[in-house]
Amino acid sequence: MTALITLKGVNKYYGDYHALRDIDLTINAGEFFSLLGPSGCGKTTLLRTIAGFEGVSDGVVTIGSKDMANVPANLRPTNMVFQSYAIFPHLSVGENVAFGLRKRSDLTRDAKAALVDEALAMVGLDGYGKRAAHALSGGQRQRVALARALILKPKVLLLDEPLSALDKKMREQMQVELIKLQRHVGITFILVTHDQEEALVMSDRIAVMFEGRIGQLDDPETLYRRPKSRKVAEFIGKMNFLPAEVRAVAETIDLDVAGLGQVSVSFEQAPEGMDTGPAVAGIRPETLAVLFEGETTDRMLVDGVVDEVVYYGDMTYYDVRIAGVDKPLNIAMKNLIGRPVLDVGARTQVVWDARSLVVLR
Amino acid sequence: MRLRVYAVAYLVFLYAPIALLPIFAFNDATIIAFPLSGFTTDWFSALATNTALHTAVKNSLFIAVMTAILSTLLGMCAARAGAMARFPMKAGIMGFIMLPLVLPEIIVAVSLLVVVVQIMGWGLSNWTIIAAHVLICTPFCIAILNGAFQNLDPSMEEAAMDLGESRFSAFRLVTLPLVAPGIVSSMLIAFTISLDEFIIAFFLSGASPTMPVYIWSMLRFPASLPVVMALGTILVALSIVLLTIAEILRRRGMARAGVKDKGGFL
Amino acid sequence: MWQKLTSTEGGRGLLLISPPFFYALVLLAVPLGAIVLFSFWTQDFMNLDTTFTLNNYREIVEKPIYGALLQRSLYVSASVTLVTVLLAFPVAYFVSFHVRPERKSLWLFLITIPFWTSYLIRVFLWKVILGYNGVINSGLMKIGLIDEPLTFILYNVNAVIITLAHAFAPFAILPIFVALEKIDRSLLEASQDLGESKLMTFLRVTLPLSMPGLVAAVLIVFIPTIGDYVTPELMGGAGGKLIANMIQTQFLALNNAPLGAALAVVAMISVTAISLAFVLLNIRWLKGRS
Repeated sequence: MTALITLKGVNKYYGDYHALRDIDLTINAGEFFSLLGPSGCGKTTLLRTIAGFEGVSDGVVTIGSKDMANVPANLRPTNMVFQSYAIFPHLSVGENVAFGLRKRSDLTRDAKAALVDEALAMVGLDGYGKRAAHALSGGQRQRVALARALILKPKVLLLDEPLSALDKKMREQMQVELIKLQRHVGITFILVTHDQEEALVMSDRIAVMFEGRIGQLDDPETLYRRPKSRKVAEFIGKMNFLPAEVRAVAETIDLDVAGLGQVSVSFEQAPEGMDTGPAVAGIRPETLAVLFEGETTDRMLVDGVVDEVVYYGDMTYYDVRIAGVDKPLNIAMKNLIGRPVLDVGARTQVVWDARSLVVLR
Repeated sequence: MRLRVYAVAYLVFLYAPIALLPIFAFNDATIIAFPLSGFTTDWFSALATNTALHTAVKNSLFIAVMTAILSTLLGMCAARAGAMARFPMKAGIMGFIMLPLVLPEIIVAVSLLVVVVQIMGWGLSNWTIIAAHVLICTPFCIAILNGAFQNLDPSMEEAAMDLGESRFSAFRLVTLPLVAPGIVSSMLIAFTISLDEFIIAFFLSGASPTMPVYIWSMLRFPASLPVVMALGTILVALSIVLLTIAEILRRRGMARAGVKDKGGFL
Repeated sequence: MWQKLTSTEGGRGLLLISPPFFYALVLLAVPLGAIVLFSFWTQDFMNLDTTFTLNNYREIVEKPIYGALLQRSLYVSASVTLVTVLLAFPVAYFVSFHVRPERKSLWLFLITIPFWTSYLIRVFLWKVILGYNGVINSGLMKIGLIDEPLTFILYNVNAVIITLAHAFAPFAILPIFVALEKIDRSLLEASQDLGESKLMTFLRVTLPLSMPGLVAAVLIVFIPTIGDYVTPELMGGAGGKLIANMIQTQFLALNNAPLGAALAVVAMISVTAISLAFVLLNIRWLKGRS
């Protein structure tokens, strides 16, 4: 893996507003990289500093080991798919795709036309070249935007919330297509999104951003299973938080968790530099279970009372009250054959496992 | 329903004076009053031989064309700055530029007259009128061009730059074609306003008058009134044609930019 | 410096706005300043005396003709504004609420067309309509409603008001229409859902929300009408002359530019003061309601 884009100590101010704070980041060649975060976290600003639409207030951006400080957007080896797609309404689909080839005097007209056809075929729009751009559907616009950017064979393709304007079905279909496309062309993709599921599905690595900072940078599985801060844990998926007290940090981390009792966890289940003192134990709803009648388990058990039942069809979400904790535990159960749906007020037992705990400050 | 009747009656009120124009232009009598006598085209033929009028029309056309070009150029600067950038004191500066829209025209006229004649000691010419007309037409141009520029997706130009074009060629290849209908419609409106403007032109015209100033002098002589009616008929027809073109272009521009029409020049 | 200006969005904005800004500065702000300066000077035929004096203003205060003209001008402007806005509001309301969306621009187009067409001739034609042998008089006499022509409709202040109300109609309709268009239609349904009648919904929701448009309409009619001298000249007769006619006379006929300048300054200050008072009252009224 070779580093393609590096950002060192990047800061961006708009007047008094500090949009990017001390960003250090390396993105590798051929990687599908996502910038994930709530709106206003600086993810789009970061993308635009890589594209060259925003200068940096201080810090260095390099692409392919070349400093980008004085390189304007039109001379950078990056191309972008805009949130609005920015399809030129006065040009046909083919003219849109060929837009960036205008200055390529080394190519004949036929060669350009062949490239356009190839790019349109790649995004599944064979034969759309003559169509008027303003008559396209949302999904088709996005494909044109992709073809228009990829025809220039950039080192990096930047995607600014490219799926947010599509409906749910179309979005899921495009997610798969984008992954396939990225594997096919082998170009680095940088995706900006506020949709955690989209980031988890598509990315090799994800940087989660809050208030201009990168909160955590990891592969999707690590990010989901081992969040290193409460903010990340709350932003990605659902998680139950239980008050805890770290007693000892030696070969393992030993702690008392409210409602669950004494627990030992490994170091990879906690952020670096965990110390004794008050902490929070986090556990995801799908790693807990309700013990139904007739089922047995060799895992840990704790008594509880069903407080709320939300039925989703494929899943049922239970809120179960256990002794010693104010907030009930949220538990996700698959509705397998023969499993009843419990009623509110039912007494039950909650199954849990220390390996699925994370300890957070 | 009552509202519709009222609205139609209001339109009748708006069009009543104009509707009289062709009636008297073709009426075979020197007095502009009912009852009508016969039909004639004499008043139109009289227009063709009136050399003083021809000079005045030539002056007005020159002034109107120059005004259309200059005020549209200024309007483009302001509309683009207004739509695409944040800058210090933006609201104040924009408000100041739009001020001539509400300023009484006589104030614009006398203040420019004082500066040009009394303070600078220059003579009056077509150019003094052009200078004043550009001032009062620019806000109208901005209002029209704002529609064109604000409907543009700002990422449109960024996309062109991202695909390798410089800032200038991105403007030329993407923005200019998209706002072109707005530009033409802005020029047509400025042209129409300038061609018709009297209050300022009366103060600032030099030795040879503009068309409205000439019409003003004709209004004093009852004998020349039917000719004025004929001239008015032609002018109304002309401006309806120009405004219709402007409106069609404005709508086409909206359609091209892919936005829904919200209507209106202003 | 150039680099710094062109590299940021704000810098490019300032650069772009500067041509129209400096144009307005040189051709509007400077001349307005000159007019004020001029009003403190005096002129005797062609000789300009640049010693500072309040004589022009003293003359305006002491001679009753100027005060009377100003008073009449403000009365005419206020009446024109009232008539124009009252007549225009239902039309704007009709186009915004009762015309199908795709027909709205056609209506606006029809409303604006007469406004762009030959101003002088349009004013003159009102004389034809309202005159002694005019359309109205001959029409009314033909159907026997009157025996001899009405005389109170031409060569007086009423004629000036009618003509100006016609000339400024689109200026009043357009801002009101824009304000009405911005009103979210579900607000009206919400009001009716909460138990208000159509009339009360109009009074409690539509009217307050259209206030910005109404205020704009009032200002855009009231301020420019003070400067019109064509309509009073043609329609006003001897008793219908206004302050703008006097300014024009001072400048062009009597060659007393300083007095004309002082009159222009006084007229501008009066109009601005009344407009500001109107806007402030309106803000207080809107605040008092919420």
